[in-house]
Amino acid sequence: MENPSSSERWNRAGIEDNMLAMFDASETKDAHQDTLDDRIAFLDAVRASSFVPEHRNPPTSKIVGAVFHMLRTGKSLELIMGSYRLLVDLDKRFPRVYLYGKDDSQSSSNSSSKLVVVKEAWSPIVDCLDNATAASEASKKRSGGPLDPPNFQLLIEELAEISTETKFQAANMEPLRNMLLFQYLVIVFEGDFLPRNATLNWSMQRDSLLNLLLGSRKINYKSLMKDCMTIICQLSQLLHNEQSKYLELEESSQSQSSKNCHATLSLALLEVLKNTCVSMEKLLVMIMDFDMARKNAGIEGQTTRADSPRTPFMDIILDELAYNKDAVPVFLKVFSEPKWKLEIVVQYLWKYITKPSVRTRKSNGYTYTEDATFDGALKCFSNKTGTKSLIKKIGANVVQFLLAHGLQAELSILSEGNVDDNSAPVDLCQTFIAAFDSLRSTDEQMEILSIGKEALFAAATLISMKP
Amino acid sequence: MDINDPLDFELEDDLLKPPPLKNNKRKKVIGLDDLLKDHYIEQDKLLEKGNKQARAKAKKSKTSYDDEDSKEAKLTRLVEKCHNQLKAFGDEQEIPPWGVKVFGDQKAFPSLDFPDIGSCKLIQSFLNNKLNSVVGLAEDKGDIFLEGLLVNGWLPKLAFLSGHVEKPVAIWAFNTMLYSSKEEVQNSSCDFWCAILFSKKEVDPLSVKIDWFPEYTDLRRALDIYGFLFKFSASAELNNLESDIGGPPQNIRAWVRFVTVCCLIRSKKAIFSAVEAEEIVEIIICLFLDRQFQGLVVLLSDCMQTIVNYFTDQEWCSSCENIAKFIACRVSMDLNCIQTIECVSEVNSRCKQLRSAVAYQTLVSCFDGVSNGEGVLRSLRAVNFKDKKCDFFKLYIHLVLAENWILSNSSIDDTSVIYEMFCLYLRDCSSLISATDLRSYASKVRHRAAYLLHFCIDK
Repeated sequence: MENPSSSERWNRAGIEDNMLAMFDASETKDAHQDTLDDRIAFLDAVRASSFVPEHRNPPTSKIVGAVFHMLRTGKSLELIMGSYRLLVDLDKRFPRVYLYGKDDSQSSSNSSSKLVVVKEAWSPIVDCLDNATAASEASKKRSGGPLDPPNFQLLIEELAEISTETKFQAANMEPLRNMLLFQYLVIVFEGDFLPRNATLNWSMQRDSLLNLLLGSRKINYKSLMKDCMTIICQLSQLLHNEQSKYLELEESSQSQSSKNCHATLSLALLEVLKNTCVSMEKLLVMIMDFDMARKNAGIEGQTTRADSPRTPFMDIILDELAYNKDAVPVFLKVFSEPKWKLEIVVQYLWKYITKPSVRTRKSNGYTYTEDATFDGALKCFSNKTGTKSLIKKIGANVVQFLLAHGLQAELSILSEGNVDDNSAPVDLCQTFIAAFDSLRSTDEQMEILSIGKEALFAAATLISMKP
Repeated sequence: MDINDPLDFELEDDLLKPPPLKNNKRKKVIGLDDLLKDHYIEQDKLLEKGNKQARAKAKKSKTSYDDEDSKEAKLTRLVEKCHNQLKAFGDEQEIPPWGVKVFGDQKAFPSLDFPDIGSCKLIQSFLNNKLNSVVGLAEDKGDIFLEGLLVNGWLPKLAFLSGHVEKPVAIWAFNTMLYSSKEEVQNSSCDFWCAILFSKKEVDPLSVKIDWFPEYTDLRRALDIYGFLFKFSASAELNNLESDIGGPPQNIRAWVRFVTVCCLIRSKKAIFSAVEAEEIVEIIICLFLDRQFQGLVVLLSDCMQTIVNYFTDQEWCSSCENIAKFIACRVSMDLNCIQTIECVSEVNSRCKQLRSAVAYQTLVSCFDGVSNGEGVLRSLRAVNFKDKKCDFFKLYIHLVLAENWILSNSSIDDTSVIYEMFCLYLRDCSSLISATDLRSYASKVRHRAAYLLHFCIDK
């Protein structure tokens, strides 16, 4: 990267002052069309100056901070969407963390690529300030500024409340704003974590923003994770079952403009709801990947006492799904990432499957016996007493959901990999059908759910298609 | 409300408050009464603000006149003048915000019945399977079953593992994507189509054999059914935001997403011709102009970025100009024409080029008998700012258009005549318009020009 000459820097500073003047002007006026225009003009100016090819430098922290402030406090849809889009584009163009010299990728021979961290880059996630008074002082000054871990937890709690509100208020942009803010933060977490994780180097992974958040002592980690699960389930239900109820905007004013507003909002809302769901899944996957990285580092003896042990997120998920069985179908449906989905199903099943011989299990949640695979679980169904006790413990419906989603995840993994061994899917399907048969013969009154029927259909079809 | 109180946005920022205690975590449900109360408080605030400003004005005028006799008369006159001025300020707001209705009434949606279940091997082959005694699939319920396979995610797995999508299934999924009223079904079928089109394996041809592909006419028909006004022009009747015509269905989101993915796979399967792709760009720009799409700008700009890269290099030169001309002769000369430019964000070189071209063509259409860039700039510089009838709003639009035409155009460098003329124009605007000019948009033109001038010197 070339060093800008001092005169250029001076000019650039001048432009930034001008842009910020635009922003400040918009702050002082009333909520009025003019203000809106000024703010949109500010966003455009930032965009124009950031995306010119000759400029290799990102806008200063002050500018990005101002854009972020708009996302957090904006009152009009145009402004909120505009600032969100600009932030996302800026992140894409000026990554804070990236791998350098990664030409012949694919085979991650990561010795050649180097992780570059732009330390001076503005970040929407900051560490907690040391003492509480300073924090409250600062938060007064920097309204709409970066979030620290407690702020993030608060955001998640607010998101968890969205669906409990019966109606979406047309004038209240807060739910939309919060969802977009969350989506942006997930993009930031991803941009920071994925390249770090690709290095497979614990000292890099440990410094990720994700660890800053999860390792913070100022948050209640378990309740944060539970809220995340609640949100993803609620959003998916909102999208699929109750959307019409949710979108019933207040009908108090029958004016035309409110109808237009209604159409605008309902288009925006469903899109944002859907994307929030996707973002949440990404966050959950990242957390599990991080847990995995920490576990590997622990095996290699790289973790220190400072890497305070947290309950792996997987264990929290399993506990939640065991405690709240109604959540099983929704969660498995919305969570589609096959690798972790399969892991969830397998661990869930193995928790309840009667083990062939008595084994002591270490308290560490990750130590499992070798046969604890999906295939192994399916084969256990041939043991009638075992199957009976499994049905008794978790119910026939949950068993069907677990089997069907396990099959689906396993099929995804098989279809993604280079399937040289054509018999693998067929073998899997045959084992699946056999397991389902024993399930049916064990509990003859069992009602076969539609997901079970679909799984049987898919398995039978795949078998019949292969020569 | 006192001036020293925190500004309203500061109060609103709940995220800054420390996390509350566990037990009172959930907020109470907002009742109608609370809303009404908030509304009244808001109203009071506005009223008070208004009064304060009026008082402040009155005070100023009072101190400036000492002559006891004529005091009252002068005061009356002054108040009147203030009043008129305020009215003039009020005029400023009458410039309508951008926004064009591009959707009219929806037409009847086609039936979603499965077209030809008899020829669908996927369903037929299972009917004789012995497992069907468990599943209980009947031929007449095939479409319901298929819907289950779709929303629960089985269809893509079957497609990938068998490497094949039959024609009836492809058509059915395409139709449910565009016409099903169920959010879940639209999303799933859109995901399905996107997955089979855009599979991760980079090998040509597609890793999944698809027996049927939609054509552009199918997509166009869907837009027509949604009520899209292809005869789009930002004329008065359509510009009427208050008219009672409905918006597009939610399926439009799937439509945009599908088009985006189609554009990414040209190397494997060219679904659109260049002319069709031009029309899609025009359609996307139109969607940007509809305020109902404000919440979908991310989706739309992704689509825009993808589709401009759909063209080959040879096609692009002429296509870019065609699109620009099409838009220029239809868009109205108000904030809408600024919106058309701003919706083409400059993230890649083709978007920049398109932005510049649209701005240029729109400018050319503003001036009769002007056919080249220098002519445009001469006409721009010919305006007399001192003229009472000078329309600063129009000037503002011209300035923004010129700015986008010149600054986004990589072929105009800072030594060219056009660039120099533009800088002179900016200098005119920033120095010849008085800072005290209270006419509508005068200060906006002045400020913008001054800001841009800074940029030009910088360059």
